[in-house]
Amino acid sequence: MENVSLFIPCTIDLFLPHIGEATVSLLRRVGADPLYHSEQTCCGQPAMNAGYRKEARKAAKHFIEVFGDDEKVVSPSGSCVCMVKYRYPELLEDEPQWRKRAEELALRIYELSQYLVDVLKIEDVGASFAGKVAYHESCHILRGLGVSEQPKKLIKAVKGAQLIPLNAADSCCGFGGEFANQFPDISEAMVKDKAENYLTSGADLLLLCEPGCLLNIGGYLSRNLPGKKVMHLACFLAGNRTEGW
Amino acid sequence: MEIKTEQFTDLAKKELENDRLRTFLKVWFPVLSMKRDLGIATLPDPAAAQAYGAAIREEAMERLPELLEEFEKNALANGAKVFWARDAKEANDYITNLAKERGIKYVTKGKSMVTEETGLNEVLSQNGVEVWETDLGEFIAQQLHRPPFHIVGPAINVPVEEVRDLFLEKINLQEPTLDPVQLGYAARIFLRDKFHHVQMGITGINIAVAETGTIINVENEGNIRFTKASPPTQVSVMSVEKVVATMKDALHMIRLLCRNCTGQKLTAYVSMDSGPKKSGEIDGPEELFIVIVDNGRTKIYQDPIARDVLRCIRCAACLNSCPVYGKIGGYAYGWAYSGPMGQVLDPVLLGLERTQDLYRATTLCGACKSVCPVGIDHPSMFLYYRAKDVLGEPYFMAKRRPRSEERFFKAFAWAVSRPWLWNLAVRMIRPYINKDAREGVISKMKGPFAGWFRTRDLPVMAWITFHERWEKMKENA
Amino acid sequence: MRKALGARRKEGKMEQSARDEILAKLRAAPKKAIHPRPYVPPLSELSMTKEELIERFMKNLVEETGIVHRVPDMQAALDKLTEIVKAEGLKKVMVSTDDVVAPLDLPAWGQRNNIKVMTHKDFSDRESFKDAVFQEAEAGITGADFAVAETGTLGLIHNKDQARLVSLAPILHIAIAPLERMVPVYEQVIEKVFGDKAGATGRSPLLPSQFLFITGPSMTGDIQGALFKGMHGPRRIIVILVG
Repeated sequence: MENVSLFIPCTIDLFLPHIGEATVSLLRRVGADPLYHSEQTCCGQPAMNAGYRKEARKAAKHFIEVFGDDEKVVSPSGSCVCMVKYRYPELLEDEPQWRKRAEELALRIYELSQYLVDVLKIEDVGASFAGKVAYHESCHILRGLGVSEQPKKLIKAVKGAQLIPLNAADSCCGFGGEFANQFPDISEAMVKDKAENYLTSGADLLLLCEPGCLLNIGGYLSRNLPGKKVMHLACFLAGNRTEGW
Repeated sequence: MEIKTEQFTDLAKKELENDRLRTFLKVWFPVLSMKRDLGIATLPDPAAAQAYGAAIREEAMERLPELLEEFEKNALANGAKVFWARDAKEANDYITNLAKERGIKYVTKGKSMVTEETGLNEVLSQNGVEVWETDLGEFIAQQLHRPPFHIVGPAINVPVEEVRDLFLEKINLQEPTLDPVQLGYAARIFLRDKFHHVQMGITGINIAVAETGTIINVENEGNIRFTKASPPTQVSVMSVEKVVATMKDALHMIRLLCRNCTGQKLTAYVSMDSGPKKSGEIDGPEELFIVIVDNGRTKIYQDPIARDVLRCIRCAACLNSCPVYGKIGGYAYGWAYSGPMGQVLDPVLLGLERTQDLYRATTLCGACKSVCPVGIDHPSMFLYYRAKDVLGEPYFMAKRRPRSEERFFKAFAWAVSRPWLWNLAVRMIRPYINKDAREGVISKMKGPFAGWFRTRDLPVMAWITFHERWEKMKENA
Repeated sequence: MRKALGARRKEGKMEQSARDEILAKLRAAPKKAIHPRPYVPPLSELSMTKEELIERFMKNLVEETGIVHRVPDMQAALDKLTEIVKAEGLKKVMVSTDDVVAPLDLPAWGQRNNIKVMTHKDFSDRESFKDAVFQEAEAGITGADFAVAETGTLGLIHNKDQARLVSLAPILHIAIAPLERMVPVYEQVIEKVFGDKAGATGRSPLLPSQFLFITGPSMTGDIQGALFKGMHGPRRIIVILVG
């Protein structure tokens, strides 16, 4: 049994806990034994992105303390994994001990689809779905982590699911954290495009691996196109497909 | 050129409400992006070629003083004259004086972004020297009194009807037409006359080569060639960072520049000047003046992180791949430089306070960084500027953030390392956040997050968070 | 440091020039490491045969709407030129006096064919030359110092026999390029033109005042992205490859 430590980002913890549940159930199904440190809080990305590095550093140190001894850490969020992998060493570069710990942690933290396919070497998780699905390539997962084939492999292995192309799949959905709130006009134009591309793709379901994108696209669809669903890959694979977004 | 960087949000809104522009961008922008991708794919190993470009420019920036000296020495040996300008005023005054000394009535101008930055055209005009931009897009933008929309297509967004009306009014267009080709030919005739009789031409410089003292321009139209060939006086202007070490380096950068810019392997013309014309030559400049402009760059240079921004070769690949630019176009950025390259350059040239929106109007999607042929990490630069802003650093002309925001993040820092406090805060905030929720969904919220809720919903803050569910889940393993 | 420099400027003594100030500031800045350059695989043209290069050149230039003819020798080139000029109905042309075109004695050819052939040497000054090349010449005929297969590009060294405006102002440019001047990529051209570092100042006195790459006709897409040829420069280019 593979021990793996769960990193559940605050977006999921607070607004989309069912994704966390789906992640746990999915990992158990494929033979992993997920462990969750309840001392975890937030990776600090909001502070980092707003320029509050001192505050982000506090989050980083706490995170490293919480996850420091785990063999592997897995998270159903790409942007948070990027924060830990790439920004923690940068944030802590003036404190050599902490930086070293951050660099070591960076080597053993994974986004969920990356963990399943690259580490556990699993593509078929025993799920099924009758219909067409499209996949939105979140920016941090695609360009930050270089993860693109892994989610698609997992989707293709789902019995009955047909992965179809999505126009401008790798184009940003317009979330960007505070960007969506601070520049709503631009953000809306971007998410509207993403929704239109979803509609014209003919897919029954839009899948993604990033809770931020999910809140953004899901939030837009909820208000403007209530019939259309967007879902996190973890929920899709685990079969938790009814609760929330 | 008026600086309107503080008006970004309003300008962006205006552009988004322009239906004509949205239609244009919807079609043109993906084509531009695709052309760039196809162009770069013509190289045997595009990633290696881009990494090599980054290495060339990294070296050029680290060796900048040495290379500038070498460039000057060789340019002087070629017979050129070299003038160094600390700032916009020195550059503008010098060039204006050159014109006045020679009794110049008008100049033709090849595209030069640094002279848009310094506002050269206005100063020349004020001093009785008429300025004719000759790049078709720059010409249209100039006649319409608009800033450039895109590095390569300065007026590409202007609807054909407006160009027709402009040309009917300003350049004696004979037959009203909506055919861009006919309009272009009318501009050709009009500007040809200017090229024919011009006595002083002003160009930018794409690349300056230290090893030979050569200045290089790339173009498709031929207006820069005319501006260099026809008049007896040529003035070419560069900002300090345009230099590379060798001709071989320059060739590699030209391969990257053209592909990233328009998808072409090479532009129609690449002209390389090493000094003024020699005796016996009937055209070309008797005098070649090279103006090297600082205007804030030596200041940026002092900061090793910000220094990387100077690598930029103005290829526009970042504009061509930016989802924000693709929605709002170039005007919203409010100055001579738009898109991600403007968003990293303007803050250090103009100061963080007056460019606050520029380094925040990004989702950090990283598309710009992924296409940049000189390895600029735009998202990291945006984060860097935001951090400097929070610190209120005077060197960057930053202004501190609102007190309420500072307090919020101080509280955040307190709670984030104290799980009991974090979870308590969640329990306390939750009823407030959810107070207007209906059926598990929040559709409106007053206060600092109102922007989100204009067209989006949010799920309620979970009545049982993942934290709170875990105990149960642990048991059910 | 800036403060000190400012003070010195005010004093008026030891006033530092803009040049010295700029260079001093750059030199005073903290240094960063320069990373080694990565390996870049060579362009495919570098391993092509002569015939493949010619084919590559032609393909590239034709893609840019260039018209390319191939002839075996200079006599055939002259015949082809005659054919083109007649087909185009040209009556007045401006020609270079470079080492490709000069041996063809185009002024004499012009007399034989009832075509006015001008060279820049017919004019005593810049302004009268410009009048002719802007307003009279229906085509500019030049040689080429290089042909580059990489992009279907011609390389022209501008000097006393190769005026800049001949290949720029007239609406048609006809270029004659001997095939022994064909090279795979730009580097070979640049080595020949800029490579010689001899000379008193370490710079070759032979560096041309202007060296030019021409790839196809003049072009723009500045009005709503609609591409067309012949913005300011020639609308068409015809290249006669010889050999």
